[in-house]
Amino acid sequence: MKFFKNLFKNEKKEASADRGILIFENTSEVIKAENILKKHGFNVKVVGPPAHIRKGCDLAIEFLIVEAMGVLNALESRDIEPLEFLPSLGGNLKPVDLFHVKDYGNFLMVRAANMKITIQKSTLTIVNISGGGCPDVPYLAAELVGKRLDNAPEPRQLGHTLCGYALQLAYDKIKQLCLQS
Amino acid sequence: MSETIDARGLSCPEPVLLTLEAIKKSGSAEIEILVDTDTSKENVMRAAQSMGWQILEVNEESSGYKIKIGKE
Repeated sequence: MKFFKNLFKNEKKEASADRGILIFENTSEVIKAENILKKHGFNVKVVGPPAHIRKGCDLAIEFLIVEAMGVLNALESRDIEPLEFLPSLGGNLKPVDLFHVKDYGNFLMVRAANMKITIQKSTLTIVNISGGGCPDVPYLAAELVGKRLDNAPEPRQLGHTLCGYALQLAYDKIKQLCLQS
Repeated sequence: MSETIDARGLSCPEPVLLTLEAIKKSGSAEIEILVDTDTSKENVMRAAQSMGWQILEVNEESSGYKIKIGKE
């Protein structure tokens, strides 16, 4: 019995370590692909691709290599074709971690790709939204700064650009860190 | 006598955090914040307003901007 437990444990560990990434032509394709793959139940994650293989897009999709065929078929069925499929993440193909968390004492900042969200820890109030350079960042900041994290609108409902999308990832991460029961 | 925060050379969110700490701790009715980018200027002004402070003056200087804020 123990043998079987260990067998499955090892398989799981090996599979989770063996991941590949898909590079797309533009961000809207990454977002579409992520939605399609998640709806199909694939274990995918949006990541920053390694700098030397960027193709003009700051985001890529990481997936379990054992699911490669299913992932590619699901995308093909919706006419989405990745620019590149990198089956191995060994060595220098390791993707850049999308999130960076910095604790400033009374404040906590989460950066996702090119966007940062900062909250005051004692009140969970959003005190700063920055980064990006997209035209909707000032609007996103105006709508979110001063609001409590559990009472603020989701950036995906307000934004229209890659920055809005990256901010949503940062917002989800900071909520996960701060609102865990 | 107003307090001055020099946030030049710092990237967001640090100018905002220094401003918020100053608002919290300062006994002054006015605070001057020095920043060197448009983004920091906008972020500091937005943070101050969200704390109920008013923007009294924004002056462009050779090294950036001087923002004066005051309690409403």
